[in-house]
Amino acid sequence: MLDAKDKKSLYIGILLAILVLVQWSVGMFLAPVDAMQGQVYRIIFLHVPAAFTAFFSAFMLFIYSILALKSKKDSYQQMCKATAEVGLIFTAITLLTGSIWGRPTWGVWWTWDARLTTTLLLAILYAGYLLLYSSLEPGPGRTKACAILGILISADVPVIYQSVNWWRTLHQPQSMLRKGGATMDPLILWTVVAGILILILFSIWLIVQRKTNIALQDELETKSFQQIK
Amino acid sequence: MLKIRELTFGFRSRRLFEKISVELRPGELVHIAGPNGAGKSTFMSIIAGILAPQKGTIEFFPGAEAGTPVDDRRKYLEYLPAEANGMYTKMSAVENLKFWSNLRGRDVSGRVIFEALEVWGLNHPVIRDQLAIDKFSTGMKRRLALARLQLSGVPCWLLDEPIYGLDTKGLEAFHNILKSHLNAKGMCLVVSHDLKPLEGLPTQTLDLATGRISK
Amino acid sequence: MKTPNAFAQFRILLANGIKSELSDLERLISPLLFALTILILFAFAVGEVEPDMRIKLFVAEVFLTTFLALQISFSRVFEPARTDKVFDLLRTYPVSYNAWFLAKYVLVVMLGLSVALPTIFIGAIMNGKALANVSIWGIIPVTVLAVAGLSALGVLLAAITMKAQSRQILYPLLYFPMTAPVLLSAIQVSVTYLEKGIFNSDSKAWFLLLASFDVIYVTLGVLLFSELVDDSQ
Repeated sequence: MLDAKDKKSLYIGILLAILVLVQWSVGMFLAPVDAMQGQVYRIIFLHVPAAFTAFFSAFMLFIYSILALKSKKDSYQQMCKATAEVGLIFTAITLLTGSIWGRPTWGVWWTWDARLTTTLLLAILYAGYLLLYSSLEPGPGRTKACAILGILISADVPVIYQSVNWWRTLHQPQSMLRKGGATMDPLILWTVVAGILILILFSIWLIVQRKTNIALQDELETKSFQQIK
Repeated sequence: MLKIRELTFGFRSRRLFEKISVELRPGELVHIAGPNGAGKSTFMSIIAGILAPQKGTIEFFPGAEAGTPVDDRRKYLEYLPAEANGMYTKMSAVENLKFWSNLRGRDVSGRVIFEALEVWGLNHPVIRDQLAIDKFSTGMKRRLALARLQLSGVPCWLLDEPIYGLDTKGLEAFHNILKSHLNAKGMCLVVSHDLKPLEGLPTQTLDLATGRISK
Repeated sequence: MKTPNAFAQFRILLANGIKSELSDLERLISPLLFALTILILFAFAVGEVEPDMRIKLFVAEVFLTTFLALQISFSRVFEPARTDKVFDLLRTYPVSYNAWFLAKYVLVVMLGLSVALPTIFIGAIMNGKALANVSIWGIIPVTVLAVAGLSALGVLLAAITMKAQSRQILYPLLYFPMTAPVLLSAIQVSVTYLEKGIFNSDSKAWFLLLASFDVIYVTLGVLLFSELVDDSQ
């Protein structure tokens, strides 16, 4: 049986999932066909929000890592781990959709543009973070090490982005994967913007769910040890 | 004086000790007793500053009575871990002793170091200058750590299984330096399975499981 | 008896660190041997190169090799202190954590340069044809800046992963993505200098990026090392 709090969060989750589906549907069916790319461009309605969400997770990791370091409370540490997991999922989605978009549009599965490259490096860093988390004994030592790594990773993301951006602009004209500029159809633009906001909210919901999950797991572990004693 | 109040610590899996309080005054020796796994070494690491307690406080006061606690008790403590000696294994005995003494602000001359090494039978020029620590035997390493203890010049000693690996002569030397330390108003917390070296010294025993102190 | 101040402790710890590294020469020589092997492998695998690609290849090869060799060096920086619980004992001494970090940092910069500079010179010799008309001295400043940044991050990462069981794979997994900006900057600036003989406005931007990276990570290092190591609070 679900208690009141779980029910509330379930309803919020369902609402957000519906919003995501609505946004995709608008993108799939209502937005106009692109003159150059045809139907395949529609993947940006998932790709761009996923990219923003992946980076937003890095920002959340930064904030919660600082909180975990300052207050040493378990709940902040659990939020950090949840953020890294959800961040990894969204970086994976970004990379996958980027590939799917790139292949029919420009004939390549991959390109070293600033955003994709930074997303790839961020995915590797999230994986490293989770690997560190699982390689350390639970306790204040792990909280501190992971919190500090979280700060380092998220502080590095803008630096990585800027360096790759400069590197690419030196070698080839403006990235092909720009959202477009002033010439973008307003419906497309707003659908993408809405998608970014909705997906970020959805990711926050996922992070909170996952954090609750991790907290319960920790509690279960502690209690089961105590039972054995 | 070392004042420990209501010290509590446990891992996720189990509680080790709860609300342990003890006061250690100049000239006093407290032996920490308990079965294997009771948390004696963990208790020592917390006092030494390696781990944080979950509850409770540790304060060090410069005199024999409580007053204003010092800001950094590490200046007044020397810790000897169990099963390790804290030596740079690729460096020599003299280099190690010099380093640790300098870190405390004791700019010890060669002569003082040699005297300490002499007490522990390590004063041979080859042993002290040319042999890397990883070539030492277990007993030799322990004796070197005890030489460092002697050179530290701090009032409070935290010793975890100090006589591990020592032979009869080593045990005797340990008993002697402990006695001099206590006579000079030093204090000592010790964990030791073998109580022989503490014989004849005014010892109190702290039972970690109950928190009770007996004379 | 007065505990030495932070600067005195810095000197003591640095001197000891240098002694400790020199007392175990394998730790110094193996990264260099590794770098040499990689350089040889590169030369072997790539073979003859068109003249206009030679400089780019030299720079990429030399900096990549340096990165790989430094990764090995850096991941091991706390190993002497890990044996025999030296690290724990240091924490029971009245040591200033800032002095400790800075001493470690300076030691690691020295180690890093002792690997990076020979690698550049050996690479230059092996790529003699490419560098016939240029002086490689111009790439020394960017190398120093690069090592300065890598060392700060290297020490922090080594401290973070010190107790992790999967350290061998974890360290490079974190180190390479995070140091990508340094690698890019060093390569871009060096290629520009070697091809054109001067630093241009783009180079200035790269230098600035490198300098920011260095400042960010040394600052974070000083701030976070004590949080990481001090378990007593």
